[in-house]
Amino acid sequence: MRNLILFIRRHANLLLFFLLEGICLILISRTQTLQGNSLLSSANAVSGALYQKREDVLYYFSLKKINDSLLQENARLRQLFALATHSVDTFSDEVKDFPLTSTTVDSRQIIQYAKYTYRSARVINNSVTAENNYITINRGAKSGIRKNMAVLSASGAVGRVIQVSDNFATVLSILNVKQEISAKLSDGNIGSVGWEEGNPDILLLKNIPQQIEVKIGDSVYTSSYSFFPPGVLIGTVTKKFLIRKNNLQLLYLKPATNFRNLNYVYVVENSMLEERRILEDSTQRKK
Amino acid sequence: MLLRVQLIFRFCAIVLIQVLVLNKISIQWWTHPSGFPIFVPYLYPLFILVLPLRIPVWQVLLWGFVTGLTIDVFMNTAGMHAFATVLIAWLRTTALNMLLPKNRTEYTTHLPGVKSMGWIPFLAYSAILLFIHHAVFFCIETWSFANPGILLLKICASSITSLLLVMVYTLLFTQTQSSHTA
Repeated sequence: MRNLILFIRRHANLLLFFLLEGICLILISRTQTLQGNSLLSSANAVSGALYQKREDVLYYFSLKKINDSLLQENARLRQLFALATHSVDTFSDEVKDFPLTSTTVDSRQIIQYAKYTYRSARVINNSVTAENNYITINRGAKSGIRKNMAVLSASGAVGRVIQVSDNFATVLSILNVKQEISAKLSDGNIGSVGWEEGNPDILLLKNIPQQIEVKIGDSVYTSSYSFFPPGVLIGTVTKKFLIRKNNLQLLYLKPATNFRNLNYVYVVENSMLEERRILEDSTQRKK
Repeated sequence: MLLRVQLIFRFCAIVLIQVLVLNKISIQWWTHPSGFPIFVPYLYPLFILVLPLRIPVWQVLLWGFVTGLTIDVFMNTAGMHAFATVLIAWLRTTALNMLLPKNRTEYTTHLPGVKSMGWIPFLAYSAILLFIHHAVFFCIETWSFANPGILLLKICASSITSLLLVMVYTLLFTQTQSSHTA
């Protein structure tokens, strides 16, 4: 016993060193899962408030950019609106793909499978350099933000809410290596979009079979399999490769969202998601 | 007491510079020229590098843990920065013993710096520890050796930039520091 105490006293520093490294390793291994601990994320009160202050200072300087992006979005929405109201005949096939909340379109019953609520939020912290990039937004549980909601920018898909505190939330952006999202080409073929670390201007669309013809400049949208609302633009094809090993195509996409200057995002709540998840889970269990 | 206030002040300053300035450089101004990976210089290990010499090892370790964890909180990398920083806080003593002209315990009031060590030893000390810190951090963050070239490029680019920033810091603050501590 005495020897043990002597040993501890002699090597106290070494033991402390190993203890601290052990704590770090535990923290790392706990957050490598998609959940993680909210105290140690930028959604907590102190770091959130600091980022908010910084954003308040810098906000004025980005007003011009924000204005431009809002104008663009406005134009795009006007176009969609005109399409939806005037040319019902050509549009009627597409209606099924769009998350319309009205139940009757053109005296025909449309099955309502998702109901979306959009909430706007300001981005107060953003990164593009890490392996898994996170965005902090200035809305949290008090504004109705919950875990796993989809996040969109004015021009395309952004990510998924993973941590929520009272006033802030962190979003795992699609610039991450943890999780791929389901995507479809404009002709309906499904693939998955991932990211290769290092370049925020390139996304990868994998698992597209060889026989499908893809042209440079084709758009890629979120599919209805993902947690995103279907039909949100992810990016446009810039390069394509055929992988000889498995005869699948690998497409390079230019993201529709400019992750370098995100200012405003929309957090999308899908009120049917919970029901869908329960159903899918119970199906899985039956099997 | 004065020392502690000074330390806490420097801690806040370095963390703020790291979080509000250095982490943001890459987002808007660095556009990926010819496949060169995006990197962030990590200046905050400097806080551990220039902790006063008379601080006992266990306190250095705790400071390292706290610094790393603070950066982790801001960057959503729970534990990764803390791991690397605790490691260099541990290696700091060894490096200092090797590079200081006299025995470490004889310096009672000094900070590790150009005044107490001279330029070349101080830069060697900073370079070694910064490189270890960056190498460990980037390895943990990437957690694969699938792209060793990119990883190495990132580590080197980031370490060199950080070292340049350390030199800037030394040039800026050497005079005032020596007048405080002497």
